[in-house]
Amino acid sequence: MPALPLDEAGKYVAAAYLVFLALILIYVAIMGAKLARIDRELSELAELAEGNRQPATGPPSADAGADQGARGGAEGKMFEREPSSREELV
Amino acid sequence: MKVPSLRANAIAATLILSAGFALVFFYAPLDADQGFIQKIFYLHVPLAMSSLAGFVAGGICAIAHLRTGDPRWDARSYVAIHLSIIFGVGVLITGSIWAHASWGKWWVWDEPTLVSFLIVFLLYATYYPLRYAIEDRDRQARYASVFAITAGAFVPLNFVAVRMAQSLVHPRVFATANGGLPGSMLLTFLVCLAGMALLWLALVRFELAAKSASASLSRLRRALEGEPQVPAPGSRVAPGVPSSATSVT
Repeated sequence: MPALPLDEAGKYVAAAYLVFLALILIYVAIMGAKLARIDRELSELAELAEGNRQPATGPPSADAGADQGARGGAEGKMFEREPSSREELV
Repeated sequence: MKVPSLRANAIAATLILSAGFALVFFYAPLDADQGFIQKIFYLHVPLAMSSLAGFVAGGICAIAHLRTGDPRWDARSYVAIHLSIIFGVGVLITGSIWAHASWGKWWVWDEPTLVSFLIVFLLYATYYPLRYAIEDRDRQARYASVFAITAGAFVPLNFVAVRMAQSLVHPRVFATANGGLPGSMLLTFLVCLAGMALLWLALVRFELAAKSASASLSRLRRALEGEPQVPAPGSRVAPGVPSSATSVT
């Protein structure tokens, strides 16, 4: 079979490469939407954790401040711990 | 052996695939027989090879899952098959485009290469219904692994059978006799293949990382809300992915 002329073959070649590009873009868009949902849920959980911490906080005093600082540090580490597992993957 | 980070993997995939496509259009000579339409070969064949290798990799991960019982291997098997199916869609569409340009038909049913790939693709398309028809997570993982191993073993057998078949129309580019690709075309093809394989690997690791983050988030939510640490039965979510799931794949 003789080769197609360039102007005709070019359309097919462009279509094939555009299909590939579209597939990758659709996949990345879907994954991006999932990551956005994870980010949103993470923000909700951060607010939930901060809400849980508020009632336990007493009037400011030197001891309470130290206690809060210690707990805040622990919670901070807890939140650092989870993202760190993600970051080590990236 | 230190596994490169996902970021390094993604950058390498982007650079090598871009270089490969640049070689396709600016370095590789026009095919004497097919002309410009042959440029689809540099996309279609690496996609097909990555897809089929991914199906086999999914089977190997499934073997590791059945041997160790580690859910991370199940997750790797699931994601490998998932990405290979997506690549398979690309193979079928780009192949059809080439077929229409070259043969004047979108599909030819008496061509073993096309039909065998379609059979493999449809076989793996049943992976999802099988998996999500089972509510119990452990059984789901075991059955999915058995499927992945059986289907994964079918892929190389299928490949050999097709190579042995006396095809009339589909080109045999990597001929066993009388040459094959000239050097410049082979180099271009190998760069495209390396880029496509790296892209497949980067996407697998990307999806595993997303699933790992999602699973960690669910655990955190249950811990904060004081719920028991047991996932809901029959969840459509793929296997729970511990954070180190991407370290091997």
